[in-house]
Amino acid sequence: MNILVVDDQILNCRLLTTMLEQQFYTVFCAHNGSEALKILALHDIDIVLLDVLMPVMDGFETAPKIKQHAGNVYLPIIFITALEDQSSFEKCLAVGGDDFIHKPFDKVILSAKIKAHARTRRLSQQSNEQKRQLEYHYNQIEREHEIVEHIFSNALAQQTTYPEICEYHLSPASMFNGDMFLMAKSPMGGFYCLLGDFTGHGLAAAVGALPASRIFYTMVQKGMAVSDIAVELNTALNELLPGHMFCAAAIIELSSSGKSISAWIGGLPDLYLIDRNGKLIKTIESQHMALGILDTEEFERNLLHFEVNPEQRLVMATDGIIESESDRGDMYGERRLKRLLASRPVISTEQIISEVREFTGSGEQQDDLSIAIINCVASESVASVPSHYSSLPFNISLSLDAQQMKTTDPVLELVDLLSEVGGISAHRSNIFLLLSEAYNNSLDHGVLGLDSEIKNKEDGFFEYYCLRESVLKELKEALIIISVRYSPEELKLYFSICDSGNGFKAGTRNQVKQEYSHGRGVSLLGEIAQSVSYNSAGNELEMVYSLTSESI
Amino acid sequence: MSLSKNASADGKILTIQIRGKFDFNLVQSFRQAYAEVSDQTEKVVVDLRETDYMDSSALGMLLNMKKTLGTSVSSIHISNCRPQLKKILQISRFDKKFDID
Repeated sequence: MNILVVDDQILNCRLLTTMLEQQFYTVFCAHNGSEALKILALHDIDIVLLDVLMPVMDGFETAPKIKQHAGNVYLPIIFITALEDQSSFEKCLAVGGDDFIHKPFDKVILSAKIKAHARTRRLSQQSNEQKRQLEYHYNQIEREHEIVEHIFSNALAQQTTYPEICEYHLSPASMFNGDMFLMAKSPMGGFYCLLGDFTGHGLAAAVGALPASRIFYTMVQKGMAVSDIAVELNTALNELLPGHMFCAAAIIELSSSGKSISAWIGGLPDLYLIDRNGKLIKTIESQHMALGILDTEEFERNLLHFEVNPEQRLVMATDGIIESESDRGDMYGERRLKRLLASRPVISTEQIISEVREFTGSGEQQDDLSIAIINCVASESVASVPSHYSSLPFNISLSLDAQQMKTTDPVLELVDLLSEVGGISAHRSNIFLLLSEAYNNSLDHGVLGLDSEIKNKEDGFFEYYCLRESVLKELKEALIIISVRYSPEELKLYFSICDSGNGFKAGTRNQVKQEYSHGRGVSLLGEIAQSVSYNSAGNELEMVYSLTSESI
Repeated sequence: MSLSKNASADGKILTIQIRGKFDFNLVQSFRQAYAEVSDQTEKVVVDLRETDYMDSSALGMLLNMKKTLGTSVSSIHISNCRPQLKKILQISRFDKKFDID
């Protein structure tokens, strides 16, 4: 503990120094205010004993400067005065004095006063240090939030928006309210969106959003069903989030025709299906517990399906809207929201938000208002990227014996193989169809000698495939040769399928009647392939498929 | 290649989803899937979103289903077809008998 004694009288200085040093304080002496300030600048002084009348700079002038130097931490100034000098006491206090010590000095009183002020100074130092730490941590958190918000807003950024289908409002700092809204289109053109509300606020509420958004975008990209997306999100969040945290969510798929909606809704307020004028057509209630609560085995994946038309709109919001409070403490509530929706045709989310803000009045800005409206219109398929075709010509030929016919799936393997070639993958469904029809025709009728007439009987379809299985099991000697040639100049695939069977007369199977559940294969080939021809024996089929056909 | 089925929450819609390849290998499981149609079921949806391949045996199976279910359900939807599969269904005039989405 360092004490500064400021007195122009050497005697007083000595006296005080002696008394204080006896009590193990470190004492510095100055003979006027100016000297005192110099010592304060050099040493860490805890208490100042200050005389009033001094040359150069007196006590009244010095005191405010000492206080200024001390800043936020309490630096006690004890004025040294004569007992009779009552009139200057007030002025001493006015300039920042904290206490007085009177001449002649009393050792006990001096000691008591020093101890009391030293204690106060220590408390002040501690609280100042805590305040400094608090500020440091606060700044640290602010900075981290900024970084995380940046990462999240990039991760969740809508790569594409679909303003004609979906309109939404999310508060700017929504991430830290735990709200998120994602949307994307599947390769089949279906529109998907997810409105999620994580429990809690702040960083903790935000952490689940990152994996959730990745899962959503990836699965939509693959055109997965809403129920599968819900299962996957639930599993991930259940593993990731602590027990008390979960995510209320609505996952919606609007089919590409705009005619039907599939929805998984867990823990969110009611969704509303309205018409153009906002008239309520249907209230859709949550069916499930929020995501991230149930184990995968317990999780309920059932969806709601309903039909919609282009005049209809689906409104979904997190609980922020209906729980918004006015100055009087009223909640906005579902009734007001429904009335608002019906208040004008084709209401926008911005209009809803501004009405709700008006209701909450001057009160604290409640910033977790998240709402989305889907217009149930048909959407166009995502245009596929034009393929780059391989310029390497090739031939593949497979000779399958009876054993291989029994144990392999040559068509699928061959399609997988061909799909590896640049540009061909986009045509794989068509190629599968061609090869599957041709191969099964050769196997069933050429090699196994089955008759499709069986399929016309009651339950004949099933019977046919049972028979096929048993005949195939007995097969001893047979051969089917599949050849594929790719011509990069023509961008064509030439297929030839030849079997060891007796063949058939071309044309006999081309008479297709819709009532039969068979016989469609050959006519399909003709539509998908550029040309189809049988040899005269009827045991070899040749097909040409053009990769430039517009069928993809 | 797999098949899964799901009834909607209200039991009115039965969804049969086929993954990968839709051909005669599924003849038995497909038949079982729609055998479970109950009195409540109003609509059957065959969801082909994850179906990469189908051939004429799949068409036969769909027609068989239509024949078996008859008027016990109000409609059968074939939904989320990839473009090439949709074309196969259109060529076969399936749009006359099924709702193709």
